[in-house]
Amino acid sequence: MATKLAMPLLAAAFAVMAAAASAGELSVDLRAAPGNPARPQMGDRLSFRSVLRNEGPAPVNGVMVWISLIRIDPGNEQPVDLEDWSGQKALTADILPAGATIEAAWSLRLIQAGAYRLMVAAESRDGGRTASGPAAEFTVGEKPVVQAQRVLPVALGFPLVIATVMLWRWRRG
Amino acid sequence: MNPALLIARKEAGELLLSLRGLGWLMTMAAALSVFSVLLVSDSELSLLDNAQVVYDMAAIATAMGTLLALLVGIDSVAGERERGSLLPLLLTRASREAVLLGKIAGIAIAWTVMFAVSVAYLWAVGSTGQNLAGSVVAVALIGTPAVLGFGLLGLAIGAVVGSARAGQLSGLMVLLVSTSPLLLGPSLRQSTVGRIFDRVNPFSGAVDAYDAVIIDSQSIAAQAFDLYLVMAWLGLTMIAAVVAFRRMSR
Repeated sequence: MATKLAMPLLAAAFAVMAAAASAGELSVDLRAAPGNPARPQMGDRLSFRSVLRNEGPAPVNGVMVWISLIRIDPGNEQPVDLEDWSGQKALTADILPAGATIEAAWSLRLIQAGAYRLMVAAESRDGGRTASGPAAEFTVGEKPVVQAQRVLPVALGFPLVIATVMLWRWRRG
Repeated sequence: MNPALLIARKEAGELLLSLRGLGWLMTMAAALSVFSVLLVSDSELSLLDNAQVVYDMAAIATAMGTLLALLVGIDSVAGERERGSLLPLLLTRASREAVLLGKIAGIAIAWTVMFAVSVAYLWAVGSTGQNLAGSVVAVALIGTPAVLGFGLLGLAIGAVVGSARAGQLSGLMVLLVSTSPLLLGPSLRQSTVGRIFDRVNPFSGAVDAYDAVIIDSQSIAAQAFDLYLVMAWLGLTMIAAVVAFRRMSR
């Protein structure tokens, strides 16, 4: 009998907790910053701005905002490790009052050619729905990072010159 | 002419104009050539792949420089003693410090030539990538004290040990341990012992600075700790070499 009474009470308690956890309604927006190159190439930098807003009536505690990058070239679809693309991958705030916003600037160094999609997401310590904003898509153009006409003369020339000098020294005894 | 300059000229000439010395340069050039040609044959390179090769080249040049400096340092004392050419040198009016200075200057000249060769390779592969200037400055500022420190260590070992072979074995052991960061994976280097070892190892200091400057695009100024580390290494090995030379028996 006691067990039968306890089960609905526990279920009600969990429902109240879940309602409190999702009380904070976060929304996040992402825009490319003005001044980005129209046709970005490897080595260029792109900047983006995100705005996180607490749309709910209550403050949200322990806010985390982060960016994710995926490659979307046909046949090369994969998440990208941001380690080398961006020094700033996330930001946190202890509390976001109701109606308040957090703006953040994100800078990307374009490491490899291809088509990419950048996304921003936000979560709170209390859980609930993960807020995600519109994705920003961009294409990074190829830039030759090595030129055979520079490398080959050095790579072949130095050993050849040294071998010639060695031969000359050897013949002279 | 200053006796130290005379000795430096003789040592550098033996290193750069002899078949043995040219063999060193050939080995280094061949290793860097292989890396360069590997890079050319890859058609889908990112900026990081390019930076990684520049980093590898800088580390290889430094590793070969330390090996050359160490072995030449040992040989120019212990080897010359065995060949009977050290005694006449010590019997001249040149002071022990002048002899030491001349020998380390000879090693420095040989390293300068190796560095110049490596700069050509760094330019060939790195001029269209990133941080070429940073890589050259990092090798010059941080690699050079590390290399010269190993040269001084070699001179100290050569002055202390009884035979050139024993000296070379001891020196190679030290060098093998020092260059282990090139072989160890990042996880082992992140352990407590690995981090402590990295903090006191001049070779780790040099390659960590290369990594930060070439791959992570940090400034040279941010590598102050590594610069202090290699300068401390140079100072300590200088003291060891001076003490060993003063106590050296003919």
